[in-house]
Amino acid sequence: MQNDDSNRQDQEILALLKDYPMRAADAGFYEQALVRATHEGSRRQRNRWMLTGFGAAIAATVAAWVVGGLLLGTPELPGASDGAAIPGITIALQEPRTVNLVFASATSLESAMLTVSLPDGIELDGFPGQREITWETSLNEGKNLLPLTLVAVGTAGGELLARLEHDDRDRTFRLRVDVI
Amino acid sequence: MSSAEQNLAFEQLVRPHFERLYRLAWRLTGAREEAEDLFQELLIKAYGKLDDLVQIDEPGSWLCRVMYNLFIDERRRFARRRMHTVEEGQLIGDGLEGMPGGNDPVRDNERLEKIRRLDRALAQLSDEHRVVVLLHDTEGYKLEEIQSLIDVPIGTIKSRLHRARARLRDILRADGTIT
Repeated sequence: MQNDDSNRQDQEILALLKDYPMRAADAGFYEQALVRATHEGSRRQRNRWMLTGFGAAIAATVAAWVVGGLLLGTPELPGASDGAAIPGITIALQEPRTVNLVFASATSLESAMLTVSLPDGIELDGFPGQREITWETSLNEGKNLLPLTLVAVGTAGGELLARLEHDDRDRTFRLRVDVI
Repeated sequence: MSSAEQNLAFEQLVRPHFERLYRLAWRLTGAREEAEDLFQELLIKAYGKLDDLVQIDEPGSWLCRVMYNLFIDERRRFARRRMHTVEEGQLIGDGLEGMPGGNDPVRDNERLEKIRRLDRALAQLSDEHRVVVLLHDTEGYKLEEIQSLIDVPIGTIKSRLHRARARLRDILRADGTIT
């Protein structure tokens, strides 16, 4: 009897799985993807060739420490978002560079939302083409380290924003990124 | 080969597999944006390997394997960060509007609710289990096809499938979706 029930339930689950929907690609998506691939693929090939040709050191990851503050529950540190001098780094085109952002918190925080917004031409390694990436994360009391590996794909540079939100509080950390 | 010829050759090789690849991306990631990103990243990578691609007998299978490896690499990067994306584990709702409706609104609603619960149940499975059960039971991949994609022994795939189904049964029985 129990076996009959299990078999019937399995059949029901299989029927649900067979029906499990997915949305078709939006009109034009395939065409756009193809254009981006050929454009981006060509650019990467050119960059690879240039790096090889000039014997440049490839993809050496250098860590820079940017100790700034997101002091939740305490007054915001200068340089956070009050117009004071913004910390900055300089990175080379197509050369991954790890920046360690240090966030300080007065208390431990669960389920904080961290959003990193990138300027045009700066990408987070592993997230090509994405201008904004959001994580849910937890912070310990004290200093918390967030390593971000940045790659410059354009020379414009700009400001990276890291916004931390928890309950109704939020702080934004600004980092100037220059590209050489 | 000129750039235009190269682009044309690439398109002729990959276009026939677009739908299959998009479906795979969707089943792996469970969300439209992530599926589109994965699809895009695959094409960029494949374009860089055009010289290899033209010599492959079954480019479709090769492209699927590359996509799966990209997906796994991405997941590992997240694991190393000890963070997770907002979307992770939140498959609920995305894609459900694509469900065809019937002529009976009550039955449609019941079915939609069951699919929503299945969505939530699938989100509770590990990636390994979720991918195997979706590829096999939803997409109709054969065990051998899954093996060539994820490169683990058939016995392991069978075991994952069995465990995934058992876990789904437990979850869906507990929430009353199946009785």
